[in-house]
Amino acid sequence: MIVISGLRYRCLAIDALEIAPGITSVIGPNGSGKSTFLKICSGIAEPESGTLLVDNVSPRQTEVGYVNEFPDRNILFPIVKDELASPLRFRFTPCKETDHAVRDCAGSLGIGHLLDRRMQDLSGGEKVLVAFAAAVITRPRVIVLDECDSHLDAGRCRWLEEALRMSGAVYVIRCTQQMETAALGDHLLYLEKGRVLHAGTPAGVFSRLSDTSFYPISWRWPA
Amino acid sequence: MRLVLDHVCAHRPPWSLAADGVFSPGIHLVSGDVGSGKSTLALMMAGLFPPESGAVRREEITSTMLSFQFPEFHVTGLSVAEECASWNLSPETAIAHAGIDVSPETPVLALSRGELKHLHLSCVLSRDYDLLLLDEPFSSLDCPGKEQVCRQISGRSGGITAIFTHEQSTFPAIDRLWEISDGRLVDCGEMPKALLQWQHAPSLVRRLVGAGRIPESITPEGLREAACRTRG
Repeated sequence: MIVISGLRYRCLAIDALEIAPGITSVIGPNGSGKSTFLKICSGIAEPESGTLLVDNVSPRQTEVGYVNEFPDRNILFPIVKDELASPLRFRFTPCKETDHAVRDCAGSLGIGHLLDRRMQDLSGGEKVLVAFAAAVITRPRVIVLDECDSHLDAGRCRWLEEALRMSGAVYVIRCTQQMETAALGDHLLYLEKGRVLHAGTPAGVFSRLSDTSFYPISWRWPA
Repeated sequence: MRLVLDHVCAHRPPWSLAADGVFSPGIHLVSGDVGSGKSTLALMMAGLFPPESGAVRREEITSTMLSFQFPEFHVTGLSVAEECASWNLSPETAIAHAGIDVSPETPVLALSRGELKHLHLSCVLSRDYDLLLLDEPFSSLDCPGKEQVCRQISGRSGGITAIFTHEQSTFPAIDRLWEISDGRLVDCGEMPKALLQWQHAPSLVRRLVGAGRIPESITPEGLREAACRTRG
C-alpha cells in the first residue's frame, strides 16, 4: 500500500490518502499539482513535511521507473539503444546481459526498429515509447508516467495499457488528460489546486464529475 | 488562397511519406499513427523542411504560423511577461485568455506543461494567419482547455487551418479530413462523408458510424446529436 500522511510540498497538501496496488490514474486541471504529486511518488522530490511511503519505505528506497511529461527531458544519450541500456549500465550490469536485455525489451515493446536511430530524429511519440522502455527495462516495483499518452495515438495508448499490465510493477501511477484512459485504471484520483478532491474507483470518481468536461465522452452518450 | 502539395515526397529509411493534395480555406484535420510523419508534413507545409521531390506551393498565402507539438520550443522569454511581450501581448490579456492562474513574473519554464501549452496557444490564436498549422495542439491540455481551444479554432474567421493530431475525444468543427496511412497522405474528403473512410476514427465515432448514425460534425455537440438521434 502507498500511504500518504500530512504531505506538504509546494502547492500540494494531502492530509491522508492510501493507494492500493494496481493502476492509479491521476486527473485534474492544468496546474492542479499532478506532476508535482508524481515527482513525490517517484522520489524525484521529497515532501517538505509529512510522508509518502511505498510499502513502508520511501520511494527513494524502492525501484521506480519514471517518464517525464517533457519527452526531451528524458533523454541522456544520442542513440536509442544507449538510452535504453543506460539504466542497466548505471548499475554495472555486464555488457552481454545489458545487450540481451535491450534487444529483449525493445522487441517485446515493438520498438526494435528504433534501436540504431538518433534520439533527436524520433517523433514525439517515439521518444515517449523509448522513455517508457527505459523506465521499465529494470522491471521496477513502481512505474510513474507523467502524461506520456498525450503524445501517443489510440493504438499506442491501447498498447501502453497492455504493456503496463504486463510490466510486473506493483504500482503504476500515471496522470493523463485522456479520460477514456483514466477510466481503464483500477483507481482514480482527481486533483484540484493541490488537493485530492475525489479518490476511488473510476466509476465512483467520474460519477462526481458527471457535469464536467472530465466525464469520459464515451460514457456520456453510449452509441 | 490554397496550399498545394504537388507529388511531395520525404524519405528517411525505413520511413517515407508521399503527399498529394490541395488545402483550401477551412479547418483540416490530419490524423496518423506515432511516427507516421504528421510533424514532418507540417514542417514541409510551413516551408521549414524541403521535400526531396515534388513541391509545396503556398498560393496567395502571405502569413504562416506553425505551432510545434512541444510548446517549450517556442519559448523566447525568461518570464511569462517576457514571453507575452515577445508576441506583442500584455501578460494580463494573454494569461486571462489562457485561463491559467499564474503571475507575470513566473519563470516561463516553471509552468506546468499544460499551463505552458495554454499560454502558447493563447498567444498563437491571438492573431490571424492565412495558414495556421497546429501540431498536436491538444496534447497536455486539460479537458476544459481542449474545449476552449476547439471553440477558438472553430471561430477562426478565415484562412487555412490544419490540425495534426491523434486526439481521440475533443475536436473543433472540421471541414475536411486527411490521414496518413502506409506512408501516404490520404484525402478522406469533406465532412461528414469523410467519416465513412476515416481509418483513425475515435472509437465513439466508429461506433456511431457503424450504427448508421453519422455525425454531421465531430464536435462534442455533433457527437451528442448523433448519439441521441432518434430514428423513424
